[in-house]
Amino acid sequence: MSEDALQYDAIVIGAGHNGLVTAGYLARAGKKVVVLEASSAIGGAARTGEISPDYQVSTGAHLISCLPKKVERDLKLAKHGLVWATRDVATVALDQGGKHVIIPAGGKKDIATLTAHATRDGDAWRRFDAQMKKFISVIGPFLEGPVPEMGPDLPGRVPVTTALRLEKLGPRDLRAFLRFMPSSIARILDATFEGDLVKGALALDATLGHHSGPKTPGTAFSFLYKRALETLGQGTGYPAGGAGALSDALAASAESTGARIRLDSPVAQIIAGAGKVSGVRLEDGTVFEAPLVMSSADPKTTCLDLLGARHFEAPMAKHIGRIRSQGSAAKINLALEGLPTFENFTDREYGGRLLIAPDMATVERSFIAAKRNELTLDPVMEMVIPSYHDPRLAPMGHHVLSIVVPNVPFDVEGGWDARRDEFVKRVIDTIALYAPDVSNKIIAGEILTPPEIEEKLGLKGGHWHQGDMSFDQLLAFRPAPGMANYATPVEGLYLCGAGTHPGGGLTGLPGKYAADTALLKEKIS
Amino acid sequence: MTEINLDDKDETEIVQLSPLDGMGTAPDPAWFEQPANELPFERYVLTTPLHLVAATESRTNQWTEWNGYTLANVYTTVEQEYDALRTRAALSDISPLVKYRISGKDAAIYLDRLLTQSVAGVAVNQVARAVLCAGDGCIVTEGLLFRLGETDFRLVVRSPHLDWMLDSAEDFEVGVEDVSGTIAAMSLCGPLAEAVLEAVGIEQANSLEKAQAVWVELGGMPVYVSRTGMMGGSEFELWADPDDAPIVWRRLLDAGRTFGLLPVGMAVRNVARLENGIALEGIDYQSGFSAPDLSTACSPFDLGQGDRVSLERSLFNGQKALTAIAKRGSRHAMKGIEVDASPGVRIEAIFVGDRKVGRVTSHAWSPRLQHHIALALIETDALGASSGFTVEVNEEGEGCKRLAVKLEKRPFLEFS
Ligand SMILES: Cc1cc2nc3c(=O)[nH]c(=O)nc-3n(C[C@H](O)[C@H](O)[C@H](O)COP(=O)(O)OP(=O)(O)OC[C@H]3O[C@@H](n4cnc5c(N)ncnc54)[C@H](O)[C@@H]3O)c2cc1C
Repeated sequence: MSEDALQYDAIVIGAGHNGLVTAGYLARAGKKVVVLEASSAIGGAARTGEISPDYQVSTGAHLISCLPKKVERDLKLAKHGLVWATRDVATVALDQGGKHVIIPAGGKKDIATLTAHATRDGDAWRRFDAQMKKFISVIGPFLEGPVPEMGPDLPGRVPVTTALRLEKLGPRDLRAFLRFMPSSIARILDATFEGDLVKGALALDATLGHHSGPKTPGTAFSFLYKRALETLGQGTGYPAGGAGALSDALAASAESTGARIRLDSPVAQIIAGAGKVSGVRLEDGTVFEAPLVMSSADPKTTCLDLLGARHFEAPMAKHIGRIRSQGSAAKINLALEGLPTFENFTDREYGGRLLIAPDMATVERSFIAAKRNELTLDPVMEMVIPSYHDPRLAPMGHHVLSIVVPNVPFDVEGGWDARRDEFVKRVIDTIALYAPDVSNKIIAGEILTPPEIEEKLGLKGGHWHQGDMSFDQLLAFRPAPGMANYATPVEGLYLCGAGTHPGGGLTGLPGKYAADTALLKEKIS
Repeated sequence: MTEINLDDKDETEIVQLSPLDGMGTAPDPAWFEQPANELPFERYVLTTPLHLVAATESRTNQWTEWNGYTLANVYTTVEQEYDALRTRAALSDISPLVKYRISGKDAAIYLDRLLTQSVAGVAVNQVARAVLCAGDGCIVTEGLLFRLGETDFRLVVRSPHLDWMLDSAEDFEVGVEDVSGTIAAMSLCGPLAEAVLEAVGIEQANSLEKAQAVWVELGGMPVYVSRTGMMGGSEFELWADPDDAPIVWRRLLDAGRTFGLLPVGMAVRNVARLENGIALEGIDYQSGFSAPDLSTACSPFDLGQGDRVSLERSLFNGQKALTAIAKRGSRHAMKGIEVDASPGVRIEAIFVGDRKVGRVTSHAWSPRLQHHIALALIETDALGASSGFTVEVNEEGEGCKRLAVKLEKRPFLEFS
């Protein structure tokens, strides 16, 4: 391949949404940027695809709840085509008897859905919600920028707001906070609520996308962390055109400021010498040169495969090698010839985020099954009918149903080829318990098993956060202890994907903070 | 005085009492071999290839342990052995040292990442000091690096760390092998050491420079001789096949007899290395991996060995932490002190005024200097004061008393 100029100010590896955010910020700062994407489409896990002609759906991620206004404004996403189909998606915990619970229970009507199951859960919710808000105020400041690095002077670098708020908690809440942090979500919910449904739904929330069950210690923190991230966003919703529309707008924004996006360009090697990065080599041998390389590929791939362990002190390479990033979710997308009928559903519910998690035991069982490389008998799941707010996704009157099934093993006993149909049938049968006519309405469908998510969406290990988001892999330990500030030991090489702080999800924050860090570093030196 | 007439003894009785009799001068080595069905690491007491010949020399039956191996602590008397080591020649078994073979295309750059100094300048048959640091800058272990060939090295260290070496090998085309069991090692030191080597026919010894090594043949047996050691003065180390080593040992002892060569145990070697001012991993400080807390582990800077760290070079294990330590200074430092106390005392803590500022990590009576010498790990902020140090001395029966001490230059002994 002959290209006249393969020299850039900055190379971004991966055109997932974080890579595109990084490219956008760098280009805006005047850098000549090229984004090298392995696959033939942009977006990574945030893309829209076709189930069958005329039925479009978010192939991977389907809900956006923590995209900060700042990113949207800085990168002028509205101008570049981002239109929100909705930003007000409520969570609906489905009940087979039609007594669905709405979370977060805002008004009286929502509270009533809780008390319908257990009279005291209304008050319990208010107390729980208030306490979560206090706790979030403590950890929230950590998410608003790069995390302070561990070190002897750490206490001096903890965000002032966190220190103040921790003090403001008072002894009772402080004690509760300290007990909360390492707990399992099951313990917390059992001590708070009576209704099985609300507990099941919140337990699913706490563990969705993580390789853990409600009884796993630390899942209370995961729950809190996720809610804290959401406070940085602007409500849960999705853009018109699906998650891919976000990526398209990010790409358009980056390109408008001069960035170039090159598809089908898998990076095989990051070139470094004398402690400095100088460029990358593609699988076909093409070399791109730049003094700054930002990788949104997951940290293990970037550091150990593309760069090589020799560029790290041995303990650091070992830490990176130990990052847990076992994928454990599957995606099923269905094309339907009409809305499935759920009992007692109104607009709010049809447009909502539908959870099937009847109780905590079911969620825990699905995790245990996954741990044993088995398929659970009664899967739990998160569903969205995006065509409800965004009718252009399907022909008139028709719909698409987007389903995330957590706790699905990467290597299933017996192999995926043999068990794919059985798995899909179990999921659809489970949905049919709530919407009996769903099976009759299916026109077409696609399934992405964890290995297929790895292959088709470019997520190593099929892990949607590029590394488990458990306490030991978050904040100052993300992606690995001593590497929390995006920089690597190789000068000019930064990580900028979901594997870095503040983690996975469609937030754009890792991409933004990484770009901020790299630009700041350049300014200082 | 009563005369004992040996001839009067009932010989048949002795035959019955001694199981060794009639089997030659030494017991059958097969007795000491590991049974084939023994699991690796099952045995806690190991013997070196020189054990039997060393045992033959022991008059005291005083043994000690190093890396699980049994070694003579004292063969004859401390006084005699010390005298031999400092005025004539001394032979010791140092086989428990851990030896790794590092070979392959990336051997040199692997070692560059593993050690605090680059091996680029180390020529074939040259020996370099080797310091391995952990990620926090604490010494993991240290020793010597021999370059046997362009891409073939032998790393000899005090304690085993194969897992660390293998972890560090990821992404390098290099083979790392623990070859400890395949190499026996002897130390030959003292002013007449060179003469002893010449007497057994190793003439290359006198032309050997410090930190150089050479392959020689001794009665058809290949022996690698290096001018290395830590006793100070003239010293050599000999590396041989385990089967050959006992014969090499015997030949050295036989040829050395006329020079006053004696086998010397660990007790005297400990005095001599202290006189030479050398702090040892596992004794004066703990390996960065086994130290229960940072106060017992040391960075090279703490030992005053900053010259063994080259920070301004390609990445190596501990570089980041050591750069920070170099900038902010050590927390504690290893210092030499002399104490005016009689032999046989115990010295533990070091004070400035009433404040305990450090620990004495090793001490010994130096017959040459005629006082106690010690190594002490002292907090750096106390080191500003050049005087006013005292140590707590415990004397059997006398109780505890404080003695003033001075910080001394290391090595304590001067060697020409
Ligand atoms: C099934 C599923 C459902 C999800 N649902 C949600 C959701 O509802 N809401 C939410 O917020 N989050 C969700 N997530 C998580 C979210 O999608 C991810 O955390 C996020 O997309 C990660 O973005 P990223 O840009 O950091 O990485 P990625 O999206 O993984 O992008 C990395 C990109 O780098 C490319 N790449 C990798 N290696 C190379 C290489 N060597 N050379 C060139 N390019 C390379 C890949 O092809 C890919 O395009 C979901 C994830 C999955 C898998």
